[in-house]
Amino acid sequence: MTAIDPVTLEVIQNALSSIADELALVIMRSAYSNIVRDSMDYSTAVCDHEGRTIAQGLTTPVHLGSFPDAMQALIARYGGAMSPGDVFLFNDPYGAGGMHLPDFYIVKPVFVNGVVEGYVATLAHQCDVGGIAPGGMAVYAAEIYQEGLRIPILKLVDAGVPNAAILELIGRNTRQPVQVQGDIRAQIAACTSGERGFLALIARYGAAAFRVYTAALHDHAERLIRAEISALPDGDYEFEDFLDGLGENPTPIRFKTTVSIKGDHIHIDWTGTSPQVKAAINGPMPTTRAMAYLGVRCAIGAAIPNCEGYMRAITVSAPLGSIVNPIEPAACGARGVICFRMYDAILGAFAQVVPHRIPGANEGGSSAPHIAGRTKDNKPFIISGGLMGCWGGSFARDGQEGISNPAANLGNAPIELMEQRLPVRITCYEFVPNSGGPGQHRGGAALRRGYRLLADDGVLIMRSDRRDVLPYGLSGGMPGTPSWNLINPGPEQKVLPVCPMQSTGMVAGDEFVHVQAGAGGFGDPLERDPERVLADVIAELQSVDYAADVYGVVIVDRRIDSAATKRRRDALRHAKGRPRSYLDHYAITNSLPRPSDRPNP
Amino acid sequence: MTNQSAGSIDPAHAFRVGIDIGGTFTDIVASGPDGRVYVRKVSSTPSDYSQGICDGLLALLAEEAIRPEQIDIVVHATTVATNAVLEGKGARTGLITTRGFRDVLEFRRVRVPELYNLDYVKPRPLVARQHRLEIDERMGPKGEIWVPLDEDSVRIAARRLKVEGIEAVAVCLLHSYANPVHEKRVGELLREELGEGVFITCSHEILPEIREYERTSTTVVNAHLGPVMQVYLGRLVDRLASLGVGRSLHVMTSGGGQMSFRRAATRPAALVESGPAAGVIAAAKIARRLELAEVITLDMGGTTAKAATVEHGSPTRTSEFEIGAGISLSSKLVKGAGYAIKLPFIDVSEIGAGGGSLLWFDKGGLMKAGPQSAASEPGPVCYGRGGTQATLTDCFLTLGYLNPNSLVGGRLTLQAQAARDAVAEQLATRLGTSPEQAAFGGLTVAVANMVRAVKSVSTYRGRDPRTHALIAFGGNGPLVAAAIARELAMPRVLVPRNPGVLSACGLLDADHEQELVRSFPGLITDLDPETLEREFTGMEQQARASLTEEGFASADILVTRHADLRYAGQAYELTVRAVRASPADLAQAFHHEHLATNGHMAPDEAVELVSLRVTASVPTPDQSGPGEWGPVRTTETKRMAYFGPDFGLLETRIVQRQDLAGQSLAGPLIIEEYDSTCVAPPGTTASLDAWRNIVIDMGQPE
Repeated sequence: MTAIDPVTLEVIQNALSSIADELALVIMRSAYSNIVRDSMDYSTAVCDHEGRTIAQGLTTPVHLGSFPDAMQALIARYGGAMSPGDVFLFNDPYGAGGMHLPDFYIVKPVFVNGVVEGYVATLAHQCDVGGIAPGGMAVYAAEIYQEGLRIPILKLVDAGVPNAAILELIGRNTRQPVQVQGDIRAQIAACTSGERGFLALIARYGAAAFRVYTAALHDHAERLIRAEISALPDGDYEFEDFLDGLGENPTPIRFKTTVSIKGDHIHIDWTGTSPQVKAAINGPMPTTRAMAYLGVRCAIGAAIPNCEGYMRAITVSAPLGSIVNPIEPAACGARGVICFRMYDAILGAFAQVVPHRIPGANEGGSSAPHIAGRTKDNKPFIISGGLMGCWGGSFARDGQEGISNPAANLGNAPIELMEQRLPVRITCYEFVPNSGGPGQHRGGAALRRGYRLLADDGVLIMRSDRRDVLPYGLSGGMPGTPSWNLINPGPEQKVLPVCPMQSTGMVAGDEFVHVQAGAGGFGDPLERDPERVLADVIAELQSVDYAADVYGVVIVDRRIDSAATKRRRDALRHAKGRPRSYLDHYAITNSLPRPSDRPNP
Repeated sequence: MTNQSAGSIDPAHAFRVGIDIGGTFTDIVASGPDGRVYVRKVSSTPSDYSQGICDGLLALLAEEAIRPEQIDIVVHATTVATNAVLEGKGARTGLITTRGFRDVLEFRRVRVPELYNLDYVKPRPLVARQHRLEIDERMGPKGEIWVPLDEDSVRIAARRLKVEGIEAVAVCLLHSYANPVHEKRVGELLREELGEGVFITCSHEILPEIREYERTSTTVVNAHLGPVMQVYLGRLVDRLASLGVGRSLHVMTSGGGQMSFRRAATRPAALVESGPAAGVIAAAKIARRLELAEVITLDMGGTTAKAATVEHGSPTRTSEFEIGAGISLSSKLVKGAGYAIKLPFIDVSEIGAGGGSLLWFDKGGLMKAGPQSAASEPGPVCYGRGGTQATLTDCFLTLGYLNPNSLVGGRLTLQAQAARDAVAEQLATRLGTSPEQAAFGGLTVAVANMVRAVKSVSTYRGRDPRTHALIAFGGNGPLVAAAIARELAMPRVLVPRNPGVLSACGLLDADHEQELVRSFPGLITDLDPETLEREFTGMEQQARASLTEEGFASADILVTRHADLRYAGQAYELTVRAVRASPADLAQAFHHEHLATNGHMAPDEAVELVSLRVTASVPTPDQSGPGEWGPVRTTETKRMAYFGPDFGLLETRIVQRQDLAGQSLAGPLIIEEYDSTCVAPPGTTASLDAWRNIVIDMGQPE
């Protein structure tokens, strides 16, 4: 038995992380689709001989927690039947450990002396997998059969021999064959390159000792997280948050979580959550577990190595048939939106445990517009790219704007690249004034982006949220501001629901504008430092009227009138209704509909 | 600014001075036509750096009986630009953008460099939102004008900036790389409205490339640094002129090339990594002398270690960098921690492992080294300046690698017992080992970190370190080089002369260079050979002209051509050489480079040309010949040093560099020098080559 030397353990951990980074770098450098290369919607992992993650590339949290289920599905199916040179491909959420069809897992077992000693694993979001709508994220798909190509666990490369039929089949089932096949090649190349480093590492220590050390890495991660959890007060902490719902007359969808802390263990349960829906926002259990791991790691606020061992301290349960544990063939293409809401609910529960650490809710997750069609020369185009975001205010500071949601650390696509390659003109990409939830520490400002279609026609598919149920504020901070989807803003504008249940036609010259939700505030707005209010006014994030009505800070000629501010704040504290709500200011400043303007269902 | 006297500079017979300013020390080296190199280390004078430089230079010249007017060429590397950003001392900066896009700068690429950290704070934008002003105009991606420029909107913005007391303005309009006409006009209008006193940079001048965030950020960094660098370089020019030194004053760029002071003052964003670049340039020179095809460089100082690769004598370059990002293991993957500059950089991977790195244990009991550092204040425990936490330097001392009494020729006395006590109490007790074993653990963990930095410039790019030689320098590089080489199964380590001031030496070695980049997008199959040739020729003329203006003779100028290509649809380009190349040759070269770098290629797919690059350079002749042998000194001593569980504590010979002349000594061996200490562990042999580089042969790989 090898004795564990803490120095060697650290060395091996470093070496494994560098292999995971290398996998990620190869994909980024040679990928084709903008969702991989610009948004970086992909992840990489190195796994031990049992398929347990021992290192991860710095990529997307939603993905990272899903590798365990994917790897277990792979081993269950092919455990004894793998050969050196095999490369596996799968995407199916039912039976293959996947999350939604666009996420392709490509995994290569690493053999030493004929025995599997580990795996290099990659996951990339493919830009199109066929199905009812371009991009594979149509909210209105009712069953998974409408969502595109389902791939069970297949040998894409069989003992070193690529199966060309699979690639050809995929090519015929996507609107973007060059990009999808290019990204698959990048994933395979990453596995090949990662395998080399992995083999060299195992060779250095010997397979037997390497196994002992990887087991120790899992134990180490577990010890670290259990130490953190032990420091939290025991108890059951409940929270619920909602999605607005689907289509023109949405019914809120409930996410009810109970976070139970007992000793050095956390259990997260979703009893009370809404049933699965006939739309593509159901999240199979791998997704639900991934969000639990993410929520706990964010809440404890300590660095934990990316070794699966830490997951032993966290268990998850959800009623079968609920939206977070759906039954086949529930559709899940646009399940990202519920990931964000699960995250918000878990953090809301933790706000009762570690209130100084948890910020108000952020923008609610990435908004995912897709505008698709064919150009004059009959080439398919998809204008896409998730939009984010802003963070809520917290005990320590204001929420930031222009920042990725912690659940999906994605990048934005350069506007100039989009315009160069796609028939679109971006009309604006900016922060929205008077947005975000007021607070002693305000929520981050919302973003606005406009798209003018230059092709003759196209269809818009939209996934967004947070118009009715706003991002929550904490400790007296106000909720964030609502999101909007507008076609041709102005007197004749058409207002689309947050999640339209059909595609929306657009013609050349039409402009689609998305205004995202602003984040929730933290603490009483009337306690906000007037200097900070002034700074926001000077930065043109807030108007002078807003400062006076919402924060009670009176600003004249870019100076604070202290006496008037005191009077104003006293009046606001004792007033029953505030003169004009921050939501009115937001709507009027930005010519947006007000909640009262909306027709009643 | 350059002192233009009669006749062009003769690169073969010039006296050169290299000046490398760091936060603590300024290194000055001079070399003459006979190849001799003179070195001086002086304290930096942050209130006016030019003061320290000139005092040090005068003293050096006086000592070596060199007349100031003998000096033709001064080459300078500086951290002044970097520090201005890090310390928030850049100019009060404004930004002019296309209407609707003023927040592009603050959105950045949205991603954050850390997961699971709810306390993460983005770097504050270098231009406050109220100073980011929008104007009415819009260019399309082919350079077509979608909305004409409204000059009134520019004048209104300019007047607002004037009222705000703005000292520098960046202009970055959408698609200006495709058609700069709007930006040019905005620049003119701003000059009219704001006068000569305000520094103005347009994005098409500094980075005419697609991707609005990177272009905006680069332009903003340039504007932010402009006024600071103009003052700094201006003072230096004046002082040097008053001494009568230097007809040709150059600054090293982050890409390892050079720029005249005049040009540098308008393009300071190109200088931010000049110091690290200089070290790699020096190593590249050594690689060329020795005809080493593949080299990895390791520069380890007090707080960080930096790695880079040199292939066939040329450092590997990148155009992705973030200033102020702190430690960047692989700057390409983990983005967002600093301010993006998309200009040519020598691809240096940096990690927080230096002599001052603190050793500690995480909550799970794993030993860690850095990135927190004791820096120079309070410094390692052994410095006796109040440091109480064990550092890597304390480990080196406990291991017996460092002279237990003093460093830097006696200028720094060490307290070996205090270091050993700290290692014993803080590390050995926890690990249940002897102090030596614990110190070796600290070294091993730091080496593991540094190995990651080395891998990120080699294996991550498909390069195998086992075929590379390691050139180690910086104060601590030679101490750890053999351990790193062993970890990566590298066959050979080289420690050049003056390893502690090698960066300054690199300034003497750099070629005078002018790189031009032109965006030239299109499918390679649509491009005819004549158009390509015409484009390259035009760029060549422009690049040559800028060097002849600086006083170099046309006959001394060499020109190279490169092209950036990718498969249609990809976003990341690879650069290939384009010597008299037809478009088809370029495509072929690209397929091969893609295979080498990314492990696969797709010969049937369309290849896209992105941009053309032309570099005009005046090569600096290799003036230094093989060194003379000094007298072999019989100063050899012995002390006990610990080499890990396999070898234990061994009596180890302590020698000087010249003791290796003409003979090969088997490790364990410690070579002590004025500015560095080199360790050759058991199983290796050390010798001196014709250029007096220490060569450590690593022996049989494991």
